[in-house]
Amino acid sequence: MPQEQQSKAQQTHAEEADLQSRQRENGNESHIDELDSVLDDIETSLSENAEEYVSRFVQKGGE
Amino acid sequence: MPQLRDSHTNDALSGSFLDASNGSFDRIFGIETEYGISVTGTERPCPAAEVARTMFQPVVSRSRSTNTYLHNGARLYLDVGSHPEYATAETRSPLDALKQDLAGEHIMIGLAQRAQEQLQRQHGPQARVHLFKNNVDASGQSFGCHENYLLRRQVSLDDVRRLLVPFLVTRQLFSGAGKVTRSGFELSQRADYLDEAVSSATTRSRPMVNTRDEPHANPELYRRLHVIVGDSNRSQTATWMKLATTHLVLCIIEEAVERGTLTPFEPYALIDPGKAIRAVSKDMSGHAAIDVVGSGDGGDSMHSSALSIQHAYLEAAQDFVTRHSNDKDMVLDNAGQVLELWGEALQSIEDGNWQSLSSWVDWAAKLRIINALKHRYSTLHAPGSAPSWAQLKMFDFEYHDIMNGHVFESMQAHHRIRSLIDARMIVDAVNNPPMNTRAHLRGRFIHAALAKDLSWSCDWTHLVATGEENHAEFEIMDPFMCESTPQFEKFIDAIS
Repeated sequence: MPQEQQSKAQQTHAEEADLQSRQRENGNESHIDELDSVLDDIETSLSENAEEYVSRFVQKGGE
Repeated sequence: MPQLRDSHTNDALSGSFLDASNGSFDRIFGIETEYGISVTGTERPCPAAEVARTMFQPVVSRSRSTNTYLHNGARLYLDVGSHPEYATAETRSPLDALKQDLAGEHIMIGLAQRAQEQLQRQHGPQARVHLFKNNVDASGQSFGCHENYLLRRQVSLDDVRRLLVPFLVTRQLFSGAGKVTRSGFELSQRADYLDEAVSSATTRSRPMVNTRDEPHANPELYRRLHVIVGDSNRSQTATWMKLATTHLVLCIIEEAVERGTLTPFEPYALIDPGKAIRAVSKDMSGHAAIDVVGSGDGGDSMHSSALSIQHAYLEAAQDFVTRHSNDKDMVLDNAGQVLELWGEALQSIEDGNWQSLSSWVDWAAKLRIINALKHRYSTLHAPGSAPSWAQLKMFDFEYHDIMNGHVFESMQAHHRIRSLIDARMIVDAVNNPPMNTRAHLRGRFIHAALAKDLSWSCDWTHLVATGEENHAEFEIMDPFMCESTPQFEKFIDAIS
């Protein structure tokens, strides 16, 4: 029905605009800072028992 | 297992087929994600099977089985090797498939949290459940992320092998999830495990495209292209781009088959797909030599590269989208953005500037942080020191741990990764099926059956109320069917 098609088109355009805006926002912000804050977070977890963490992840293959 | 028919010999399919469904290039998309599991913080190792059983206790209580369908139209089950698996409902766009896949992550985290609480009561408060959205465990066992595309039946398996596989082998330049190995960093999780191009097996040998003939639709019109060569992506943008670019390539192939013309992809048919995918995976420059059949009349093969092959597909996609600019929305929403990002990815790799892709390409994000981590060790810690192998491998796994991981989550928190879908949209996809495929009707059935506490079962095409008093069945062979019919309403009334 024409009305439904129009409504779907409006929704699609709104989602597209939303998507573009979200990508611009995220893309800009992602280039501002360096990786130090991420490394700080990661180093804390890597200081835990890495050997145990890795060796415990063993299971049969899937698919 | 039924064998595929050679579609070229099917006389019943004469005439145009691109408008066989609701739109000229309309397609159904779906993603099946297998998760890895482990437990740390316990005195003794917890077997994966025990953790998986604990995770699926609520599923068994609800459905008396570890294999069920949800009211958002998805399938949730425990697969071979104790891998929790989530198969999204049928969707009509790459973005919707991404939303549904993220809904799967959300549901899996809920099950893992509950299992962790139970394990903490048994093993102490340090117990942690890890749920890995990746494709290889610590012992090198592989599990999959399978993409499903509804494909017009006239596209033969040989067309897929010649024209699609070169794209699938080289798209890891932007879709690879990255892997830390003892012999160096690789772009792809899966490359080392794939040998054949197309085959019907998944566990004995590992083909790139599985040919099991289960279209879950009218087999006269469609086949279900089951792509098993891809990595599980954490980056939303990578998942979206993986599906969107593959869709555009499939459109080009379908159109050429429909018109009886050749695609520009013929010269790039791979001589040895297994060798090619491993070469691409080990090469960050995109220039590693790949043997292709070539276009020479003499029948001599020639060298190409991942970048050259991807450029050929990108140019064909740009031309295709331009030619269909008047009906672009029918081809793909946001097609312009897809082509732009695709081009940027290839150019960045061409320029040796893969670091600029770290905001959406998983392997680039991982490798950039690994390099920064090594730099920090060698400059801030003891001079000349480096992270241990176990620390690098833990980092690799942590990136994919959706339950207790810190790497990807930290990158998100610090806006280092582009997001397309927010938490509100994910919760919506957990609670609601896509409204423009038959998943909508499946969701209504499951909702009604659960509300009435009925015995029921279903699969992708059948809905069954199994009670003695109100036994009723309904079949939906058309995956594009989303509007209710008087017959469907009668079926719902009969079970309600």
